[in-house]
Amino acid sequence: MKVLATYNIKGGVGKTATAVNLAHVAAAEGNRVLVWDLDPQGAATFYFRVKPKVKGGGKAIVRGSIELGDAIKATDFDNLDLVPADFSYRHLDLWLDDAKKPLARIRRALRQVDHEYDYIFLDCPPSISLTSESVFRAADALLVPTIPTTLSLRTYEQLDRFVEENPDMVRELKILGFFSMVDRHKRLHRRFMTELRTAHPEMLEGTIPNSTDIERMGVHREPIGSYGKGSRAARSYESLWSEIQTRL
Amino acid sequence: MSKVRRYEVTAAGDFASVLAVLTDHVGLQLVSLEEVERSWLDTAAGTLAQTDSTLEFRTPKGEGTASLTWATEGRVLVHDNCVAASVPAGAGDLPETAAFTRLARLIDGESFVLGPTVNSQIAVLACLDDEDKTTARFVFDRSETLEGTALPMLLEIVPLRGYDAEAAAIEKLVRRSVALSESATPMKARVGNATGTRAPSTGLAPELSAASAWRVVLQQLTKSITDSFSGVLSGDDPEDLHAFRVAVRRIRTLLQDGGEVIDPESRDRFRHEYRWLGDITTPTRDADVHLLEFPGLAASLPQARRDDLAPFNEVLIHHRNECLSSMVTDLRSIRRAEFGSAWLEFLSDDDAWTGCGELSDEPVLRVVIRRVEKAHRELVKNGGKITKKSPAIALHELRKEGKRLRYLLECFGPLFNEEALATILRPLRDLQDVLGEFQDTEVQGEALLELAGELATTDDHSALVAIGGVVEQLGVRGSTARNEFSKVFGRFDDRKVQRALNRLETTKSSGKKKR
Repeated sequence: MKVLATYNIKGGVGKTATAVNLAHVAAAEGNRVLVWDLDPQGAATFYFRVKPKVKGGGKAIVRGSIELGDAIKATDFDNLDLVPADFSYRHLDLWLDDAKKPLARIRRALRQVDHEYDYIFLDCPPSISLTSESVFRAADALLVPTIPTTLSLRTYEQLDRFVEENPDMVRELKILGFFSMVDRHKRLHRRFMTELRTAHPEMLEGTIPNSTDIERMGVHREPIGSYGKGSRAARSYESLWSEIQTRL
Repeated sequence: MSKVRRYEVTAAGDFASVLAVLTDHVGLQLVSLEEVERSWLDTAAGTLAQTDSTLEFRTPKGEGTASLTWATEGRVLVHDNCVAASVPAGAGDLPETAAFTRLARLIDGESFVLGPTVNSQIAVLACLDDEDKTTARFVFDRSETLEGTALPMLLEIVPLRGYDAEAAAIEKLVRRSVALSESATPMKARVGNATGTRAPSTGLAPELSAASAWRVVLQQLTKSITDSFSGVLSGDDPEDLHAFRVAVRRIRTLLQDGGEVIDPESRDRFRHEYRWLGDITTPTRDADVHLLEFPGLAASLPQARRDDLAPFNEVLIHHRNECLSSMVTDLRSIRRAEFGSAWLEFLSDDDAWTGCGELSDEPVLRVVIRRVEKAHRELVKNGGKITKKSPAIALHELRKEGKRLRYLLECFGPLFNEEALATILRPLRDLQDVLGEFQDTEVQGEALLELAGELATTDDHSALVAIGGVVEQLGVRGSTARNEFSKVFGRFDDRKVQRALNRLETTKSSGKKKR
């Protein structure tokens, strides 16, 4: 079982679309997949049409008083389950701060269900906080969608520095950055991509285009592979997933 | 998680009434409507039935492609359209997806046996909540035998995980409005009853004498060896050799645990010969595994390093051909032929199986349960001694003990309580997977380094560096498996498994002991 967290310090870079679409691709291949929506905004939960509420409360999961398995909801897709978001997750940092061994909490919760799944995706809220540090400890890899713009590149490098400065916290964690919301017509995007690839040759080759097909996920409330199978955007997630598997 | 609820829909009016109730009270969406010929598949030992799962091969009436669906309790584990429109014969014919790979591991080299076949009309409806999210699926299944005998329509209510309360509410609503008769029997069993083709019969029964039962299972395994033999000699499909070796290993287990059941002199002789048969096929199987896994291992390297591996792939192919050639020579040897004839003669000789040991006339269930308990005790005892510092050989030995228990359970599977058997086999298979991964990565790493020696004479060392990268990956996989050991062993060394062992000889429905 591998835990993959879609993460970026910056918001609006395509984290949730990445988690939902890659999870859908992985499940369609016959893998058993779970998505845990840790973002109180609950966008992944919305995309799967699930009500954003955790039975017993999000705090109980983090504290271990209820099992993560009890909060799981099947999505409408075979082999693809979800732990929905809960608006109370906005207090996640406070709960972790109150808990003993806060960095191990998410990992411990996942351990209860890890034998049921091949891949678990954590859709994280933007920020760098105790929650993200707990995610770093639980994950095997961070999938970091990065828009080829100045601000996104800055946050990518912030993350890179953080990882470098905290080797004990991240342990075996792999950082798998890739370009998201790419508009190849924009010269600036092309330039930034070249620059960042030169500085970070470990970045994934696959890119996700800036596409209205992906934006329509909010209308269809489904992964793009369900309503837009064969589209350029759907294919880009498929090839990104193939590449990620070779890096795990 | 709730299980599937089943009802018989005996009259056309019932069907319409169910639909009317549903449309009046919940959002409803047609997911699929199929008219198909469908067959159920399982292994001769009933491996899928033991794990509460089914494998269905469906051919559409009219346009469309055939499909294969592996499911458990209404939950589809994997569904795939088949390129070839023929029933898969074994693991080699399964689509190459993650779930089918799990299925291939589960059947462990055994062939599929075609179960009952029917013509069916199947409609799947999704019940939706106010977010248009599916909470339960209603499956209407109208089937008739190939001879045209119609079976009562079956309604299955499949709750989705996390939506048990919603599904129960809909079910209550339907039951209040329509008089349906509840039935626990799934369609596969109904068809089996109607056509007289129940689960593939293994010829095993609890009241058989131990010697007779041992003989039945050995005959089945010998058939697997015979079926795969020409494929093993041709070397075209690695699955043939895998199936051959699994049958050999199972026979070895039955011989090992056949003390006081099988004639001791014959047992000693054939144990020795089967060990030899296993040994002569090992290098080719290892070489097959190198070739099969190498592309995946190479893919973990950066592109430039991957290209450096091209010469090594040639080395692997050459090595595999050499192993195959040597194995074929051994398999065509006089020794193999004489041993094969003697074995068949032994199996067909009634005298050799009469009064051949102290326990040969005991009821098989009593004997085999004792052997299972002993194998379980040893596995738990020795597994409990494994620490992070234990040498690799300790894990290898434990894997052998695990195999022994697994093969005893699977070979005599039809004698046991299905639910108890599944409870033991699930964590045991997980444990074996982890131990297998650990051993495979160790053996593969060592073998690849040895084979890489053939490249050391060239001036270009780029391939050697790339192989170093591959071996490193294997090391990482091996240590991951090792780290997982205590967790999977903990799931096996569990009260649930112990309780299931005590229930192995009880019938499912009555709770009475079988013997």
